[in-house]
Amino acid sequence: MAEARTFQLSMSPHFGSPQSTRRVMYDVVIALLPALAGAVWLFGFGGALLPVLLSVAAAVAAEFVCLRLMGRSTSAALDGSAIVTGILLAYNVPPGVPWWLPVLGSVFAIVVGKQAFGGLGSNLVNPALLGRAFLMASFPVLMTAGWSAPFEWRNPSAGFGTSGMPAAQVSTLPEADAVTGATPLRAWKDSFAMDDHEGAAVRENLSTPGTYMNLLTGRRGGCIGETSIVLLLLGALYLFVRKVLEWRIPLAYLGAVALFGWILGGPGFLEGDALFSVLTGGAVLGGFFMATDMVTSPVTRRGRIIFGIGAGLITIIIRRWGGYPEGCSYSILLMNLATPLIDRFTRPRMLGEVRKHA
Amino acid sequence: MSLWKDFSNGFYTENPIFRITLGMCPFLALSTSMENAVGMGAAATFVLIWSNVAISALRNVIPDKIRIPCYIVFIATFVSLVDMVMAAYAPALHKSLGIYIPLIVVNCIILGRAEAFANKNTVLSSLLDGIGMGIGFTLAMALMATIREILGSGSWYGFNILGQAYANQPILIAILPPGAFVLMGFVLAAFAVIDRRKERAA
Repeated sequence: MAEARTFQLSMSPHFGSPQSTRRVMYDVVIALLPALAGAVWLFGFGGALLPVLLSVAAAVAAEFVCLRLMGRSTSAALDGSAIVTGILLAYNVPPGVPWWLPVLGSVFAIVVGKQAFGGLGSNLVNPALLGRAFLMASFPVLMTAGWSAPFEWRNPSAGFGTSGMPAAQVSTLPEADAVTGATPLRAWKDSFAMDDHEGAAVRENLSTPGTYMNLLTGRRGGCIGETSIVLLLLGALYLFVRKVLEWRIPLAYLGAVALFGWILGGPGFLEGDALFSVLTGGAVLGGFFMATDMVTSPVTRRGRIIFGIGAGLITIIIRRWGGYPEGCSYSILLMNLATPLIDRFTRPRMLGEVRKHA
Repeated sequence: MSLWKDFSNGFYTENPIFRITLGMCPFLALSTSMENAVGMGAAATFVLIWSNVAISALRNVIPDKIRIPCYIVFIATFVSLVDMVMAAYAPALHKSLGIYIPLIVVNCIILGRAEAFANKNTVLSSLLDGIGMGIGFTLAMALMATIREILGSGSWYGFNILGQAYANQPILIAILPPGAFVLMGFVLAAFAVIDRRKERAA
């Protein structure tokens, strides 16, 4: 790309970079496509492809209308950022929800989460996550019960087995009739409400190599885009190679989820399951594709590590003690709000600047 | 004409909610349904009118240095009246307004009008100002409650208007606190747009 690095005869900055908003955004779209393929494989066209397409269409349309109303250039509606928001929002809803839910979420994400704050670059929090928070507050039943089991679209009798895994994939449990959760995290959370013996049996069943394999390949209940871990990682690798993704936030986030999941996530101190914590819920999707949003995450290197660790800690706290089984989206939203503060405290010293004594 | 101005000021040009943005706490908390909004509007209007009248009647007697405590005494008296009357005759409404009835004592609109208006004007002007501001506050409450109740419960004044299918799955956030802030932002933005149109036309 040497020829793309041009010198400009103009005001600074003088070094041009081939990286433009459009290129970055379309790279992210490309990186999210493998997970879409995985979602279609798991949840079918009606369960995965349709919500994503509707959500993207709604996001772009909302962006266009907003820009038009504000008298700005409407070409920005196609810079890819609205498409990314639309895809991420749809990835964050359960596959069994009615078609209008992702549409409504996308419109809210764009209108309130992004354009009301001044458009791309001015939004305080990740618009897609704000859209999800809006849906969670407005339609708690649909957002926490609208699950459909993997492969249910091809085999309607598949249904859920125990612990949020497809029925055929799970080895039978003793006293299994007590354990029905639509997602593994729900099963994990519910296990704390059972008596010690039963709960321990549920958690033990969730901490097996078989479960890890199911989680890795997406054979479990979950939101549209969060379950295909391998394909998400493939997309993240592409972004990394294209230098769009910076490694600090995802690594700090997933590391913190694993660490605190082990320390705090279980029934007692140091009794959690690190691998399970990372592989369930939306940790991988959130860590690579939502926490890393360039607008709403810190710019400094130290800040990014603090951001990732903070989000990881909050995720585990919500999972263990919060009202919802999964805390990934709220943890990132909270850290988004803390981002200006983190940037301020981690501002690098200027060359020659002397540390002030307090 | 000046008396008419005193009266109508609170409707739009100096609407306590949308213009002076006072009294946000009861406004955001109780605009969840028309019933709450009208109940709160009526209670606040009553207190506003009589505290305005009492304070302006005694404006030359109240020592300047301790005027705020004096206002509070008047306001608290009328609030106690409202509280007891409502508890006796409208216990259901009293229960649903809850803590916000006693909190009228520290309502910024009432204290604000006492300090900014009743303290300096005649009893008649203050009476009209109190009525006008009370109506303005109630109208603002009703506007917000209309938006929030229809979106958040699919009903208006308790009557289902958007159908049962909607009422089973409304946009619940509209009657939750975050929805109040978001919708307030949109309403204020709408007022700003109207104003700008007016300015351009003028």
